[in-house]
Amino acid sequence: MSEKLKQIISKQNKVEEDINHSEDIVQLVGFIIGDEEYAVPILAIQEIIKPFPWTRVPQVPKYVVGVFNMRGAVIPLIDLRLKFGLSPKKHNEDTRFIVMRHGDDVAGFVIDRLTMAIRIKKSRIGPAPETANGDNTLIDGVGKQEDRIITILKVNKLLERDF
Amino acid sequence: MDEFQEILQDFLVESFELIEQLDQDLVELEHNPQDLELLNRIFRVAHTIKGASSFLNFDVLTHLTHHMEDVLNKARHGELIIDADIMDVILESIDLMKALLNIIRDTSSDSGIDVSACVSRLDECTGGGAKDAKEEPLIEEEPEEDEADYENMDPDELEAEIERLLQQRQAEDKAKREAKSANESEKETPQPEASVSKTPVAVTPTPKPASVEEDSDSSDNVKAAAPTKKVSAVEQTIRVDVKRLDHLMNLIGELVLAKNRLIKINDDVEERYEGEGFLEELNQVVSIVSLVTTDLQIAVMKTRMLPIGKVFNKFPRMIRDLSRELNKKIEIEIFGEDTELDKSIVEEVGDPLVHIIRNSCDHGVETPEVRLEHGKSETGKIKLKAYNEGNQIVIQIDDNGKGLDVDMLKKKSLEKGIITQKEAENMSDKDAFTLIFKPGFSMAANVTNVSGRGVGMDVVKTNIEKLNGIIDIDSELGVGTSIKLKIPLTLAIIQALLVGVQEEHYAIPLASVLETVRISTDEVYTVEGRSVMRLREDVLSLVHIGDIFEVERVLDTSEYAYVVVLGLGTSKLGLIVDTLVGQEEIVIKSLGEFLKGIEGIAGATIRGDGGVTLIVDVIAIMDMAKRVKASAIDSTSDAAMLTHEKTEASDYTVMIVDDSKTDRTIMRKALEPLGVTLVEAGDGQEALSILKQGDYSFDAILVDIEMPRMDGYTLATEIKKYNRYKNLPLIAVTSRTGKSDRMRGVESGMVEYITKPYSADYLSSVVQRNINFRSEFLK
Repeated sequence: MSEKLKQIISKQNKVEEDINHSEDIVQLVGFIIGDEEYAVPILAIQEIIKPFPWTRVPQVPKYVVGVFNMRGAVIPLIDLRLKFGLSPKKHNEDTRFIVMRHGDDVAGFVIDRLTMAIRIKKSRIGPAPETANGDNTLIDGVGKQEDRIITILKVNKLLERDF
Repeated sequence: MDEFQEILQDFLVESFELIEQLDQDLVELEHNPQDLELLNRIFRVAHTIKGASSFLNFDVLTHLTHHMEDVLNKARHGELIIDADIMDVILESIDLMKALLNIIRDTSSDSGIDVSACVSRLDECTGGGAKDAKEEPLIEEEPEEDEADYENMDPDELEAEIERLLQQRQAEDKAKREAKSANESEKETPQPEASVSKTPVAVTPTPKPASVEEDSDSSDNVKAAAPTKKVSAVEQTIRVDVKRLDHLMNLIGELVLAKNRLIKINDDVEERYEGEGFLEELNQVVSIVSLVTTDLQIAVMKTRMLPIGKVFNKFPRMIRDLSRELNKKIEIEIFGEDTELDKSIVEEVGDPLVHIIRNSCDHGVETPEVRLEHGKSETGKIKLKAYNEGNQIVIQIDDNGKGLDVDMLKKKSLEKGIITQKEAENMSDKDAFTLIFKPGFSMAANVTNVSGRGVGMDVVKTNIEKLNGIIDIDSELGVGTSIKLKIPLTLAIIQALLVGVQEEHYAIPLASVLETVRISTDEVYTVEGRSVMRLREDVLSLVHIGDIFEVERVLDTSEYAYVVVLGLGTSKLGLIVDTLVGQEEIVIKSLGEFLKGIEGIAGATIRGDGGVTLIVDVIAIMDMAKRVKASAIDSTSDAAMLTHEKTEASDYTVMIVDDSKTDRTIMRKALEPLGVTLVEAGDGQEALSILKQGDYSFDAILVDIEMPRMDGYTLATEIKKYNRYKNLPLIAVTSRTGKSDRMRGVESGMVEYITKPYSADYLSSVVQRNINFRSEFLK
């Protein structure tokens, strides 16, 4: 029994070492908006919370749904479905607010559903596809995994005011 | 290096403090040129700064102060009478000194400013030319003794002394040339001399504790020289970094929020556990916490207070310069310079005051000849007063000049297209006075150095309003003008009136609220597409807060509305709201970088229940009100009432609200054969939240009366508040059969009343009738 256990432990260690030794690894958090999977670097995420009440703010684009109170700080809430031009959807039990931070800028983003934490090698991340937007794109790159493609978003662009 | 920096810091703080005092003393000196006490004091300041700067190797500064000292020393010994021209030169040199100190503060060196022109003018004052060589020693470190020494020197010693002095002089000249060439090499940079000598250099406040007079050694000298006041009572002070105070203020803000929350919870608990013993104890604790929090808040606010004298000090000097420039005789009187204000506000009021006082000097006070003609004294007077009034501080600027001419104001504004002919005719005098604050307005016939660009007073208005302040202006033609600036004591925590519109709440700073009135909808009139109402003698223009903030009207508006009368200076506006929630102390929080600058919103605050409430920007609202179309109170948006075409039985949706599962099932069984979509809810609350979610559009609701949490009557009343559900048929299904029960049902908006037990067919037919069920869907 203990022999077996040892083996398992050593195996696990080995796996971990493999990862550590291999080239740069990027850690991402994946989530779904509409039909597509997106991801942002895990270090840009301050927290992920379940939806709770917010206050509407007038005279802003539709995708800025309002502000909410996160432990004393007033933080804007942005619906990524609306920002990406999708139709609005009722919040359900999978809906989450992802609070992202870049420098001093903080905002909460409404997403449809979380998927998983992703470890991906830097070499597996390709550049953003050629788009008409050029520099203005929200897309940082495209991560390729065996069975799927993940769009990695630029946190600083997401937090930039564009109205 | 660090040690040097430390000394440098001390030197700068001390010098700025000294110079602040210097300006006032010099102006006073001009009136009493013989006051030896004053002269000595001024001389010592120049001397102290010279000494310290030479020690720190600031050659340019030393050079300048050295020559200043020279002039002052002569005056001190009665060899020179200080007249206005000499004073100009001295003041100019002090401006240069300030500029140099600013440069030292920013760059730690004193290069970049040419002082030679000023120095040579200073030299002229002392009698000019080379003969100074002999008198130079007068201004050595111990001038008084030097003079005596010469008498006793033997010729050889004298020769040596002269030799030494000549060398010193040469060295100085060299330094002068260097300074000059240094300046020439920097010709590209904006000419420092020109700007320095013209504009009075504002002394940028370095972080200072509340009382500064007591802790610098030079003022000890002052005290010794002027033994009249302050015997002992040395206050103990500590210099504290402003950042720490800001942090403290933030923490207090959090505490106030927590306190509000505690009070709310206490109220809730009181309601639920009325009459229980522990309530009293809880009450006591809550009131102590709230009391201490308030005290703490006041205490911290006080630590941030600075006397407004900091700002007032520079005005005597400014008035002096202006009166010479404009060839007028103007005196300034200052009262209440000890009045204290929050540091951040003190920093903000300086500029507006400068503009107002310049304006008073230029446009208010007449030339001496004109004044004499009108039988006034030759010298114009400007009074600067500061005092506390309730939660505000009032800064009052009075002049006894020619006053504001209402007709002229209107004429000028018409010319510049600021107002229309019609507006001009309907304008009260008070309103006309405020025209001077309009951007682009100017009374000056031509643009002068002092004013006439039509910018200054606009700056006053925006700056004061940024501080949540109010400007009040009053004037009498030929007698004078009085401007009052009313500013709140602090910026971070304010009293606010909370109002409700539909399901949203907003906070309005209480300082801008004049009164609130309840009106019925038929008291609102429409004039030229705008809503107005009669308020006592006046006509008040109205705007609905919902129109300004694009609030979706889901709730039906009631017969009555509340009008919050907002006042800002002399303009008024009635803001229509649905409900008044109450008065609360709120902590202003910024909306952050992402949402800053939203029109009409000044910030946000966190309420006792943890929710965020937006704070109304009253100034912006007044502006926006002019643009918003009056949709008045009675406009109802029927867009939501659109009924969709029914194409099959399942397009009909009926909600069943009953707390008993059995009853729900019975109803379901009765209605299922129709093929309509059925939604169930366990009580009134649940039903209401299903409605609010808007996932379904209901054609009828079956309501049980007896339910936990929210009964059927309450549910019906709540549902009827929503515009879009006004015509939704509510069918009571109950075992209550009393007549009064039926009456209540009708009152709360039920259209049918079915008593249990009922037959399935009967229920089905009632529902069919109420939802206009089309018979062809029946199988």
